[in-house]
Amino acid sequence: MKYQVVIAGIGGQGAVFLVKVLSIAASLNEQKCLGTENHGMSQRGGSVSCYVKVGDFYSPAIDEGQADLLIALEGNEGLRNIQYLKKEGGTIIVNADEKFPNIDYETIKIDAFKKAREKEFPIQALNVYMLGVTLACDKHFPFSLKDIEEAIRQMNAKMAPKNIEVLKKAIEDSRGLKK
Amino acid sequence: MKNILMGNDAIALALIHSGVDMVSGYPGTPSSEILGNFQKYKAKFKLDAYSEWATNEKVGFEVAYAGAIAGKTTCVTMKQVGLNVASDALMSASYIGLKGAMLLVSADDPGFHSSQTEQDSRSFAKFAKIPVLDPATPEEAYNMVKLGIKISHKFETITMLRPVMRVCHAREICEVDDKFDFKPANGEFVRDIKRWAAVPPAGRFKQGLEQFERLEKIKEYNWEELILPRVKELKAKSVLCLTSGTADGYVRETLSEQNIEADVLKLDMPYPLPKENLEKLFENYDKVIVFEESYPCIEEQLSSPKLHGKLTNDVHKIDEFSKDKVLTAFSNVGIIKKESFYKSEKYSQELPVRPPNLCPGCPHRDVYYSVMKVFKKKKSIYPSDIGCYTLGLNQGAIDTVLCMGGSVSMASGFSIADPKKTVVATLGDSTFMHSGVSPLINAVYQNHKFILLILDNSTTAMTGRQTTPERANPAQIDIKKIVEGCGVKCHEYVYNPNIENTIDFMKFLKKQYEEATTPVVAVIREFCVLDKERAPEKLPQVFAEVDQDKCVACDVCTTQYKCPPMHYNENNKIEIDPFLCIGCAACLDAVCPTDAFKRRED
Repeated sequence: MKYQVVIAGIGGQGAVFLVKVLSIAASLNEQKCLGTENHGMSQRGGSVSCYVKVGDFYSPAIDEGQADLLIALEGNEGLRNIQYLKKEGGTIIVNADEKFPNIDYETIKIDAFKKAREKEFPIQALNVYMLGVTLACDKHFPFSLKDIEEAIRQMNAKMAPKNIEVLKKAIEDSRGLKK
Repeated sequence: MKNILMGNDAIALALIHSGVDMVSGYPGTPSSEILGNFQKYKAKFKLDAYSEWATNEKVGFEVAYAGAIAGKTTCVTMKQVGLNVASDALMSASYIGLKGAMLLVSADDPGFHSSQTEQDSRSFAKFAKIPVLDPATPEEAYNMVKLGIKISHKFETITMLRPVMRVCHAREICEVDDKFDFKPANGEFVRDIKRWAAVPPAGRFKQGLEQFERLEKIKEYNWEELILPRVKELKAKSVLCLTSGTADGYVRETLSEQNIEADVLKLDMPYPLPKENLEKLFENYDKVIVFEESYPCIEEQLSSPKLHGKLTNDVHKIDEFSKDKVLTAFSNVGIIKKESFYKSEKYSQELPVRPPNLCPGCPHRDVYYSVMKVFKKKKSIYPSDIGCYTLGLNQGAIDTVLCMGGSVSMASGFSIADPKKTVVATLGDSTFMHSGVSPLINAVYQNHKFILLILDNSTTAMTGRQTTPERANPAQIDIKKIVEGCGVKCHEYVYNPNIENTIDFMKFLKKQYEEATTPVVAVIREFCVLDKERAPEKLPQVFAEVDQDKCVACDVCTTQYKCPPMHYNENNKIEIDPFLCIGCAACLDAVCPTDAFKRRED
């Protein structure tokens, strides 16, 4: 099994947290996993793109047209990285409102900012929320809810109950989204 | 035991597993987390070890090197441009050698993600004549730390580990030792004046000859121990790919995904290479291609008409590797037809750019805003330096960025070359300590007239908020006293979120400058909004919103102040993103000409 994920967002939105969670989830399944993150200059509110490659890979970066999944914590950052998605079968899961353009990829769109503004979940957990949407909507996603919950617990046991609550809310909210 | 580790974490753990008990360094992306993680492990395992940030890379290098002369197993960490600073010490240390062991970790940044140059530390190792190991992944970095320490000890030479950003900040499930016995060697300096204080020409000439002998032995070791076991696995295809570090992964993936037939020989130690053995190996092949980041370090050591790489214009010369670049190289060499397998269309419409910016609430923003209000664009020159505050570029408040400490000496130079303009230089507290003090002494010594603002947020912010000398020892080390010790008065301003106060302070400095004959220096006591210890008490938690009737869309806030939460909404009025506003209250008083920013009542 080979599965490549690009996580795109803005510095501070917690893309790196997702790299850690997915790496732990892979290790729980005894899968090989190679990921990379952005630090330093690239994290000061600028565009951030992280890679996670699950399976038999040797290089840390993802080339254009190769990713199975693009998790976009913000719409424009999703579009900025769209060339990384596989033409056939690549899925973008994006936090965006109805203005997000129609693109030639399987698109799952949810307005997470609106839900955060309406205080349905804390904005600090946007990353976990989008991971929940991914769990609910990406039928090829190689991790189960159980894997992700355990990975979140291993990341930070104290924050885990709140994060898992957001995760489950996102799964609930994703019912009825196009799959 | 399997462990999910980031590269820099794997390196830190391997240092402990190799018995390294003296680590020094200076922060710099992508190297910073190595020493930080070592400190965490030190606390976790209650180790008796020295692991401290030095004031700069040269100082860090010399601390660790003296430790190694005295028989300890030591390490110094830095980023590639830090190696430039430490190079004076490295060049001599390479002649002299050592007794214990010393690993020099110099982290490179192909692709310029967080660096001003793309220089290749492997080529620096070649220049300095020390062996270098180039890991491809975090697990390999873990193993190569151990190997590097072993080689350093065996050959009494400093050994370099050169991880790139895609190793430092990669995350991988690594196989690491279950148990370790941390018993570092006791240091004991044994006097040997002929060696440790070798005087030129005779003393150093002799050491220069020894250096060549040492390199020959290391070449032999490289061939016997590291290369030969892999040569035995080669399948004798017609094409040989020589790889080093992360380039190896890109090549292997490309070969397997594209079903290209070629042998791959990974060179763990890209310098020094056993030239004759490798060139003999080429006899079995039609073509040999070198894949390495980012200089032709391996390629320059070999010669053969079969050899292809950067020097033959077949492999790219700048920027990070990708599989597309591997395919292009294969195509250039004539092994495959040019294909665009790893190419896909970017989004066709223009997207708003999102350059890095100062954090919401960052005091640097107010300082730059005030500087621009008082000193104006046309009448001044603004040299700046390396740190978060380089992002003052967004506010048009920076004209030059060169290297650590360069702002101060360049301010001197500009004040001589273009004396009609006011030179206002900015640098941070950590950069001042790193290499800003000696140019300030020079400026006082020569009576250069400019304004120097030391933006003191009490942390090395950009690289992850490492401790600074003043923060750790506030009773002993004070920037103000250092400036005074350089022979000039140090004005002091304690930042507060009322911008009018900051503007008044700049006006005061301008007046001082008009009457001055020496540099006018001020330390501005700020804080970092990401500083968990200090920021909470400094941020008033007063949030802003925009009176939509008062906003006239004049662009002042989005072009001169540039706080990330400020943006235009659908009605072409400014609004504040509530998710980004940090509640600093700084914009409420003086930023908006029509007074549209007001306190948000929740």
